[in-house]
Amino acid sequence: MLNNWILIGLLAVSTYVSRIIGVEIMAGRKMSPILRLYFQYVPVGIISALIIKQIFIPTDGQLAVSFPVLIGCLSTAITIQIIKMFLPSVVIGVMIGLLARYM
Amino acid sequence: MNDKKSAIKTGFTEALPLAVAIAAYGLSYGVLATQANISLMGAVAMSLLVFSGSVQMVTVAMLTAGANLTSILFTSVLLNLRNLLYGAALAEGLAPAKKWRWLLSFGVSDEPFVLGSSRFKQYGPDPLYFGIVVGTFYMAWAFSSFIGALIGNQVDPQQWGLDLAFPVTFVALLIPGLQEKPVIATALTAAGLAIGLECVMPGNEFTIIITGVLSPLVGLYVKRRSQDAE
Repeated sequence: MLNNWILIGLLAVSTYVSRIIGVEIMAGRKMSPILRLYFQYVPVGIISALIIKQIFIPTDGQLAVSFPVLIGCLSTAITIQIIKMFLPSVVIGVMIGLLARYM
Repeated sequence: MNDKKSAIKTGFTEALPLAVAIAAYGLSYGVLATQANISLMGAVAMSLLVFSGSVQMVTVAMLTAGANLTSILFTSVLLNLRNLLYGAALAEGLAPAKKWRWLLSFGVSDEPFVLGSSRFKQYGPDPLYFGIVVGTFYMAWAFSSFIGALIGNQVDPQQWGLDLAFPVTFVALLIPGLQEKPVIATALTAAGLAIGLECVMPGNEFTIIITGVLSPLVGLYVKRRSQDAE
């Protein structure tokens, strides 16, 4: 639990530092457009990796596909493309994933 | 005086629809934080002190997967790199706030950047507007995190499929952004790279960091190729 509080403190400081550096130090400087794009793509890479890590779960030293997670993810991907609403898409994905788990 | 009133009113009106969307994320974050064994107080404190959807979501996902403090911190630094861009772009619009800039800087993130930069472009510097927008988002984020963590504490995660909520939430965050080829290329590369890394070293700590650093390079390559083709 103490570790969680240390983590929260460190995240708070590092996040604020990134914000204040932008406002106070980076202001007025030209940043290369390539670097700008790179920064914008980073979250996409991290989020994709996180999804993969939840679908492919290490079991006895090998990777196993979690089908409820895979089916839930695909359902949400299709739903959000159609209805374009965040929470309902999450709920539908979880429900279909649960169904896949208990079937 | 009228200018002030109008900035407050416009800020609040323009922030409100986005605040509803932020509250939806906040609700998910709160529920997921309890899955990562973060207490109700910890979950809310993180929202109050960090105030960053992406950092907080990724942190709770990594904690749940058993990641250590160093890799979580490194990943959050990667995620926060884009704040440098936002801050630099907003600096001029916040300049009249003088010493209050230190407080307003706390609100530099995705959504306030979108609203703030378009306001400054049209009407020039307006720290008050930015403050109202950030304040509205802050309250929506903190309150919804609290409600989410409260719900997460009350239910049995497996039975309600809350463990499924993690990957599904990330899919819902990712998919709407996959519009342009470079972004799609980044996501596909990240997926392939993550599978490859996990195959070689199942459950290792470095998959997220290595993927986060390398996959955007492919996005840049695709962007460059499409520009060259034009």
